[in-house]
Formats: sequence, C-alpha cells, structure tokens
Amino acid sequence: MRKSKSLSALIFFAIGLFLLGLSNFVDELRAYQGAQVGIYVIAISSIILLTGFSGQISLGHGALMAIGGYSAVLSYNHWHFPMLLAFTFGAAVAALAGFILGMAAARLSGPYLAGTTLALAVGLPSLANQFHILGGEQGLSFDIGEAPKWIADKTGGDFTQYKWFFWISVTCTLFTMWFIKNLLQSRFGRTWRAVRGNPSAAALSGINIGRSKVLAFTVSSALAGLAGALLAMILGLVAPMAFTLTLSFTLVTGAVLAGVSNLGGSIIGALVLVVIPEITDAVATHLGGSEKISANLPGLITSVLLILTVIFAPNGPQLHKRNKSGKAKTQ
Amino acid sequence: MLILDTFLIGLSSGAIYALMALALVLVWRSTRVVNFAQAGQAILSTYIGYEVMNRTHNYWVSVPFAIVAGAAIAAFVDAVLMRALEKRSHKGSVSEIAPVIATLGLLGLIRSLTGMIWGNAYLQYTSPASGKGYEISHHTIPFSPQNLIIVIGALVVMGVFAAVFKFTNLGLALRASSFQPEISRLAGIRVDRIRTIGWAFAGAAGAVAGALVTPTTYLSPNSLDLLLVSGFVAAVIGGLDSLIGAVLGGLILGVGFAFILQYIGTSVTFSAAFFILIIVLFLRPRGILGSKIGRRDA
Repeated sequence: MRKSKSLSALIFFAIGLFLLGLSNFVDELRAYQGAQVGIYVIAISSIILLTGFSGQISLGHGALMAIGGYSAVLSYNHWHFPMLLAFTFGAAVAALAGFILGMAAARLSGPYLAGTTLALAVGLPSLANQFHILGGEQGLSFDIGEAPKWIADKTGGDFTQYKWFFWISVTCTLFTMWFIKNLLQSRFGRTWRAVRGNPSAAALSGINIGRSKVLAFTVSSALAGLAGALLAMILGLVAPMAFTLTLSFTLVTGAVLAGVSNLGGSIIGALVLVVIPEITDAVATHLGGSEKISANLPGLITSVLLILTVIFAPNGPQLHKRNKSGKAKTQ
Repeated sequence: MLILDTFLIGLSSGAIYALMALALVLVWRSTRVVNFAQAGQAILSTYIGYEVMNRTHNYWVSVPFAIVAGAAIAAFVDAVLMRALEKRSHKGSVSEIAPVIATLGLLGLIRSLTGMIWGNAYLQYTSPASGKGYEISHHTIPFSPQNLIIVIGALVVMGVFAAVFKFTNLGLALRASSFQPEISRLAGIRVDRIRTIGWAFAGAAGAVAGALVTPTTYLSPNSLDLLLVSGFVAAVIGGLDSLIGAVLGGLILGVGFAFILQYIGTSVTFSAAFFILIIVLFLRPRGILGSKIGRRDA
C-alpha cells in the first residue's frame, strides 16, 4: 500500500513536470485555456466527491466558488496575504460555509437539497451589492502580479502572465487530485461509499451518517472555494456576474459528463466544458450566425449533452463498461 | 396604512408564488420530481404569448395561447423526457438524482433555445391594464389593475383546480394515481396518461404565472429564475405535497417578502428566499400541511 502511494505521488509529479514543460510550446490562448481546464477539474472533482461518493447533490457550488473567490481576493487586497495563503484562506472560508450548509444538507434528501442549494446559488452572488466592501456589481480586481523572477530566469525570460496562471492552476489541480485520491482510499472515503451504498447497514456498523455527510460537504466546499479563488485569479477580478447560476449548472453538467462516481472523468468533463464554446464559436462564425446564436449555442449543446447522458449513460461512460464485470458495484 | 400597503404588495406577489408552487407540487405528487425546468417551461410559454401579442396586438388573446402552450410543453416533457428517464435510469448510483439533473438540463436547453430565438435582451410584454396603483382618497396604494388581474387570475386557476380535483372523475383519477399508482393501475386507471394530464395542469399553472407577472417586469430567458426559487420555497412551506399548502405557502412567502423588503431593504430580496427556506427546513421540515413522512424518506 505504501509503495503504491509513493508511486502514485511520483506519477502525479511526472504529469506535473510534463504539463509545465508543455506550457513552453503552446501559445497564450492555449495556456489560458489550460488554466481554465485545471480550475474546472478541481470544481468538478468537488462535485464528484459530493455526489458520486457521498450521494448528496449541490446546485450551489457556483455560490461556494464565489465565497472562495471573494475571501481570497479580500484577504489578498486588504490584508496583503501572500498568494498561496490567500488561496488557502479562500478554501477555508468556503469550507466553513460548506460546513454550515452541510449541517442543513445532512437532514435533507435529494430534491430538498437541490432546491436549497439552488436558492443559495441564486441568492448569494447578489449579496455583493449589499456590502460596500464587496465592490457591488463591478466587483473587486485581483492582480496576483507576474511570476517571481527566479522562475522566469530559470525558464529563459519569456514568462508570460497566462503561463504563470497555467503553472499555478496545474500545480493546484494536481495537488487537489492527489489529495482526493488519497482521501477516497482512506477511512473517510470508505465511510462515504458505505453510507452511499446502504445507509442503514452503514449506521448499524457504527458509522455516524450525519457526520460523514457533513464532512463530505465541507471538503467538497473547500475544493470549490479553491477553484473559485483560481477562477478569480485568471479573470483578474471577482464580481457577481462571474458566479452565476449558469456556472453552478455547468459544474453539475461537467460532473455528469465525467460520470458522477469517476474521479478521473473530471478531466474529460473539464475538457468538454472548455472545448465546447471553442467549437460552437467556430460553428457560429462559419454559419455567419448572429450574436444570439453564438452566445447561446454552448449552453444549448451542454444541456443536450447533459440530458442525453442522464438518459443513456447515467453512470457515466466509463463506469458503464466496468459495471459488467461487477467491479463498480462497490462504488 | 403602511402595513396595509405592504400587505397588498405581498398579496399579488404571493398569488404568483402560489401558482408556481402549485405547478411544482402537482408534478411532485405524481412523479416525485421537483421540476426545476418549470421556470423554463413558463418562460417558453410566455415568449409564445409575447409572439401572439405581437401579431394580434391584444394581450387578452395572447394569455390563453400561452396557457395552452404551457400545458402542451409540460405534457410533452412528461411523455418524452420523464418516461424515457424512468425506463432507462431507474437503477444505478445516480438514479436518485437523475430526474433532478434531467430537469436542470431541460431548463438549460429551454433558456438557450429562447435566447437563440428571441435574444437575451429584455423584452416588454405589456398588458393593457395599468401598472399604476389605485387611488383611494388621495392616497395611491401599491395595488394596480394589473395586480388585481394577477390575484383574480390566480384565484380562477385555484378555483378550476379545486373543482377539477374535487368534483370530476379526472380529479379523482389524478388524486388516486399520485397517492397509490399500483392500486390505481389495478383499478383500471391509465396511470401514465393521467400523470401526463397532471403535468399539463402544472404547465398551465406555470404559464398563467409567467403571463401575468411578466407585464409587471420584463421578459428575458432567465427572468423567471427567482420565481422558480420562490415557488419552491412556497411549496416547501406548504409541505410540498399539498395543493392547499402550496397556495398558503405562496401567500405567506409573498407577504413575508413584502415585509422584509419594506422594513429591511430591497437588496436582500434574493438571499431572503434562501434564509426563509433554511429556517422553514430547520423548524418544520414537513411544512404546514405536509404529510408525516420525514424529508429523508420522501
């Protein structure tokens, strides 16, 4: 067990080096999109952790991302936290919010939880207009500055802002994936799966169901908060418009496309979410379409994909296959 | 006087919430799904009403069109999407949340479709009834002819529903098949078909809400999002499976909102729904008229 753990850490490290190296060979736009993919991977994994492994649903993760983003920016701008600490602070505040929400959530079943988190997603971003410190509709700017000089020097001077975003995003993503992977193999991961599979049996074996659900919600929220802080970083600001209901829905879509109980699938989900607007843009301009079409085509396609996935491959493309060998039953 | 004014504001918004809550409750009772796409369906039917009004220049002609469209859309959703969903994804790890996700997908689909056809700009769907409040002895009350129409419209819908549910065979079948689908099937009720009719009723209620409330605001692909949340909160206050509860929940929420706006401030509108919902779920999770089944078993 120990050996495989250090091996997997090594693999993550290798992937990281590969990706960081890769950033030297792509243009600015791709680097930016790479950073976007990383953020989506974190956010989607947070939903997979919650829905696929703990059996709770959240339509409000966009709001939790907003909490993470705003906390990170506030701590960075006002208290001059260093960047990493600001990200951690964002994740921590989101975790606290998730803990409180999770207390309510643990008492609720599917539709009630969905409705409550939906109300949060609709309501929370507008709070920004109420408190002066949150900057209202324009939001707050977030400038993390250029990459430190020693990194720029090591890689040969030409170190752009987007590449720096990409580096940060990739590092955070890999760290998160590694963390979740280990967490799911730990006692907590087994507990969540047990509760998800058969709550009564889990309770009889001495698992505190409520506590297990609240913990899952807290961890998931922390990850969403981190993703929110990273999103604020690449956007250069936090504003209510960045954390709309659409964002929450997009994340759920990504998780469903990934197969809700398949952590690795989050990469597929994230890629799809980033690639779709790219493709639809090309299609829309090719068709000479108006702004109406190009603005709404990505939403249309992701929604159709979501519906088709839920009907035809509700457990995600990969798990579908594994089901035949009976392996996936434990999940 | 201020208290009475606030109450009147709450009355008309409460009537709209009640209609939306009715739509959600009707679907929940028969299908055990909270239909998040209801906001989308109502928006689509309102856009259809808007188109009819552009052609005929008559609001009163357009409203029935919107209602019929709303009913047809809902019946279509049940007959195509919900049945496919039940057939295919009744087992597996996501079976519990699959309907929720499917209705979300549908909401997204309708939003982008309406955005493609009509654009994301704010459109005006105007009613001939004035939006200016009545004047009583030199005091303008915040209750306009359009508000009166909203309240009357909601009352008519509720009256029709009550009559159908209480006095007709269809109503009996609707009640029976949502209460005990298996036994109803044995008794010769075509449960699937009845369920689709139930969805059509829900769609009609949502369409009435959309067509009546839009003249007081504006029309855009997501202009009814808040109404969806308010309708859900109202339905939860009422117990989620009681029609009378939905109406009461809507009124309570509408009046409650009006007082919050009056005495706390307008900027809390959006978040108030969330906090009210949380409070209700903590204090009385089964609502004021809900059945005794706890939320976990629902």
